[in-house]
Amino acid sequence: MRLNKIFSLTIFYLLITPFIVLILWSFTQTWPAGELLPSEFGFRGWRYILEPHSKVWHSLLVSLSLSGAVTLISLIISIPAGKAIAHYDFVGKSLVETLILAPIIVPPIAVGMGIHLSFIKYGLADSFLGVLLIHLTVTLPYSVRIFISVFKAAGTKWDEQGRTLKANWWARFRYITWYLIKPGLVTGSALVFNVSFSQYFLTFLIGGGKVITLPLILFPFINSGDRVIASSLSLIFILSSLFFMIIAEKCIEDNQRQSEFYYL
Amino acid sequence: MRSLILKKSTWLPYLMLSPVLFILGAFFIGGILLAFLQSLGYFPIIGLEKFTLIYYKEVITSPDFMAALGHSFYICVVSTLISTVIGVYLAYYIAGLSHKNKGIDFLYKIPIAVPHIVAALMIVFMVSQGGIIARLVMKMGFISEPNQFPSLIYSKNAIGIILIYIWKEVPFITLMVYTVMANIQKNLGEVALTLGASKRQVFYHVILPLSTPAIMSASVIVFAYSFGAFEIPYLLGATYPRTLPVWAYLNYISPDLTNRPIAMVISMIITVLAIIMVWLYTASLKKLVRYKL
Repeated sequence: MRLNKIFSLTIFYLLITPFIVLILWSFTQTWPAGELLPSEFGFRGWRYILEPHSKVWHSLLVSLSLSGAVTLISLIISIPAGKAIAHYDFVGKSLVETLILAPIIVPPIAVGMGIHLSFIKYGLADSFLGVLLIHLTVTLPYSVRIFISVFKAAGTKWDEQGRTLKANWWARFRYITWYLIKPGLVTGSALVFNVSFSQYFLTFLIGGGKVITLPLILFPFINSGDRVIASSLSLIFILSSLFFMIIAEKCIEDNQRQSEFYYL
Repeated sequence: MRSLILKKSTWLPYLMLSPVLFILGAFFIGGILLAFLQSLGYFPIIGLEKFTLIYYKEVITSPDFMAALGHSFYICVVSTLISTVIGVYLAYYIAGLSHKNKGIDFLYKIPIAVPHIVAALMIVFMVSQGGIIARLVMKMGFISEPNQFPSLIYSKNAIGIILIYIWKEVPFITLMVYTVMANIQKNLGEVALTLGASKRQVFYHVILPLSTPAIMSASVIVFAYSFGAFEIPYLLGATYPRTLPVWAYLNYISPDLTNRPIAMVISMIITVLAIIMVWLYTASLKKLVRYKL
């Protein structure tokens, strides 16, 4: 057991160390080659980002509204879909299940390049709406999957109880289903938001450089360019994700959070 | 698992599914079909309207094809295998802890909140020739110049890319497997221990077989992702060989529009291979599970 512990802790630290290096870089003024620590700390990276006229603010706003909209739509239409698959038996069910999971397996590169021309034709390319629609094809498999497991775990008995008591459709949703799906909404919004928030390829291709999100700004920094600015940008990225996740969790306020279950 | 009596209805489930099916049908299936048509050379905009297989022939007979295929396979098989083994091990360890660990909450947020491109940046800071590890090795006197450190980024061995995937996928697999393992451990694991099984036996004969479906679906997702992913190998890969998605993309953006069908052929090949591999993998593991149980 002792060895197990050492081994697991090693893996754990290997996962965290890169974060520490990233944070160090973002507060670096000068870090000479060959040195283990920066020789001078500073706020150059942060100043670049926080400048009012930098592209970062605008792209952050675009990113947040895009991924916010994707999350909202994705979750709303996945709730009935997840329930249909978990609680009903119907013709063509396995086909529907396969279709819903397929976008996890089929690479976005095929879908994006295939549909690009028709998006141009129908005016969806280079537009916010076009990017939103193409993001949905990537996020829906995850959100439907989450609600399938939520409804499977909840079973149908609560709903039947409600029916027996003559609760109407809305009352059953408000007082029964809502409480059953809360944990799914928390994990679902976190997952969907971040899948959309970190999407590079489809935004770049379908948005055609007109819809500039945070990943598009960050992308060129990865293999060349200023390490300090890249680090600050990355941290802004992670912080906005975490911030959204906390907000979502607070808004839905799942008091007895079933932390044993991470629906993925 | 409590069993569920499924309701039957002729139209209600379709109505409930309709928004999701509309979006996936129009944009996902639509995209794949259009890619397929274009791969057959149907490209009215540049005057190509005849269906032909010459582009398939051109891609498959090209020497770049085998190189790209091999390189793609190499990256995704190695990274999936290593992340699955580490992820399962870590899940087992965390599930076995008696008190609830804060680390799991942290692990839950990393794979979700850190995108691949940020993971890429962090790994570059670690393992490139100007990275922390190279600096450490130099300080310890093993090398005297940064460029004596083995090149892991932009190199044929693609170790940098593989490390990025491993760093990103280990928490993901751990999490997906942990939920299931914690349940098994709590119920059946304890029973087996009471009946005199050793910890080793519990792991190999109870926990591992029962969590195989979860391990399977986690590693399938990781495998398919890394096979079709474009960003990381595009940014940090060698100029030759390229991975299939990068090769497809470079053909797509080529100013010569007649290269577009080629790009579509490559992306159709990626799609078909991904589906076949996932199917094979699922089928073989299903057999394995049935045998073991």
